[in-house]
Amino acid sequence: MSAKQPQPGRRKTPSGAARSQRDWRHPLRSWFGSHRDSARQALVRVRHYPFSSAMTVLVMTIALALPMGLSVLIGQVKQLGVNWQEAAQISVYLADDVSAEKQQSLTEQIRQLAGVAQAQLLDKDLALAEFQQHAGMGDALLQLDYNPLPSVIVVTPLSIDGGASALEPLRDRLVAIDGVEQVQIDLLWVERLAAILAMFERFAGGLGVLLIIALLLVMANTIRLAIESRREEILVIKLVGGTDAFVRRPFLYIGVLYGLLAGVLAWVLLALGLAWLNVTVERVAALYQSEFALFGMPFTDGLALVFGSMVLGLAGAWLAVGQHVRAIEPQ
Amino acid sequence: MIRFEQVSKRYPNGHQGLDNLSFHIRTGEMVFITGHSGAGKSTLLKLIMCMERPSSGAVHVGGQNLRDLGSDDIPYLRRQIGVVFQNHQLLFDRTVFDNVALPLIINGTPADEVGRRVRAALDKVGLLSKENSYPIALSGGEQQRVGIARAVVHKPALLLADEPTGNLDPELSAEIMALFEDFNRVGVTVIIASHDLPLIARLHHRTLTLDQGRLLADGES
Repeated sequence: MSAKQPQPGRRKTPSGAARSQRDWRHPLRSWFGSHRDSARQALVRVRHYPFSSAMTVLVMTIALALPMGLSVLIGQVKQLGVNWQEAAQISVYLADDVSAEKQQSLTEQIRQLAGVAQAQLLDKDLALAEFQQHAGMGDALLQLDYNPLPSVIVVTPLSIDGGASALEPLRDRLVAIDGVEQVQIDLLWVERLAAILAMFERFAGGLGVLLIIALLLVMANTIRLAIESRREEILVIKLVGGTDAFVRRPFLYIGVLYGLLAGVLAWVLLALGLAWLNVTVERVAALYQSEFALFGMPFTDGLALVFGSMVLGLAGAWLAVGQHVRAIEPQ
Repeated sequence: MIRFEQVSKRYPNGHQGLDNLSFHIRTGEMVFITGHSGAGKSTLLKLIMCMERPSSGAVHVGGQNLRDLGSDDIPYLRRQIGVVFQNHQLLFDRTVFDNVALPLIINGTPADEVGRRVRAALDKVGLLSKENSYPIALSGGEQQRVGIARAVVHKPALLLADEPTGNLDPELSAEIMALFEDFNRVGVTVIIASHDLPLIARLHHRTLTLDQGRLLADGES
């Protein structure tokens, strides 16, 4: 009898087992069978310990949802920033005495300049109408018997990379045009927004790292308790020849299962949370005359969340089993 | 099948489990190990199972020096050994069927064959009707027979038993021993540690008597 080869004993005809062990499908099938059993054991455990399982899953859910929610929010506000950047404008105020025809030709002239994506004329009547409609100051303006607003050519630059200073040459050329009274570049707020977003992004990143560590520890502790509660069983399994991998497998499945549940729950929580937040966001945006709205939890982010959560569950379980399963040896 | 060569086992607390023990058990033998408690019976079985390593000397099982086995190889050694414990070591949250099936599940036996072999083993120990019971619902003797069914279900070449009749009355003990003799008759090497001297005397098998870790006598009692 050598240690690694199955011994058919003294029987003269090979048993069904001996025959099927020569079948190449057998190891594969038993491997799958063992994984199926382990997955089923994980489900059974969750069903037998619904309360402690729910606690673990909820802690994991919160640890996932917090940094993920922040990063989704920041991502969406960032896209808002991008939209604003695209709409970032240089306002070219025209002198009051420029005729309508001259205004048109100036607009055409500016449109031809290098670095200009678009130029649109907003004459003073139109500007007044828009101002009255949106800004809620129409009443005040009605008190005036003349239109105080100048005609404006709204210029969209091709690129605002490099900030306001990169736009200086264009500004100089615009100022030099006859009939232009003032040129205003307002990019400071875009730069501020970008800086604030970068700060929040870093904050979310740091928070995410901490919470992922917490999640791993929670998972490892849960699995450690599960291993302790099945100490007797592990001893018996090892006594009748179960490998460490065989003992480990159900616990790793528990980790993956908890990860799956927490990931799905966090997804639901974020989707609901963003929708709930969106009501107020839309109201605020409306007050700023923006149609900005959160567009909810992106599907791919949700999938990544669930997958990442399963990987984290597995990693946490692995931390625990690596240590504790080996430590349980029959004496 | 099993060869001990000048095997000593000293525990970290100073207790001398075995002291320069040498013997040889051939394939197909049925052997009793006897002696007072603390004489080294359990240590001897643990060395065969690789639950303990000898302090000095060599233990050979099936021609393999156990010193050469790494910890990853130990499960594969144990799969070829059936073990019966005094306290059964049954899992009380699983049915009799699932308890007996454990060694087959571990070595990856196909599901249809698991059912057939578990029922054959339970039939052999007379508990076929209890396959869906939980161990807690069984008597001590029945639990011990479930333990035996689990030890033989994967048809090991070697069967070890540590005080298998420790808690049983004489009549049940005799039944259990008769079961072991049945397995021995079909070629299984059987080693039983027991201090039930009257019972051993009736059975006329080779008996190794240990005293303070040393071999006191080797012969039919």
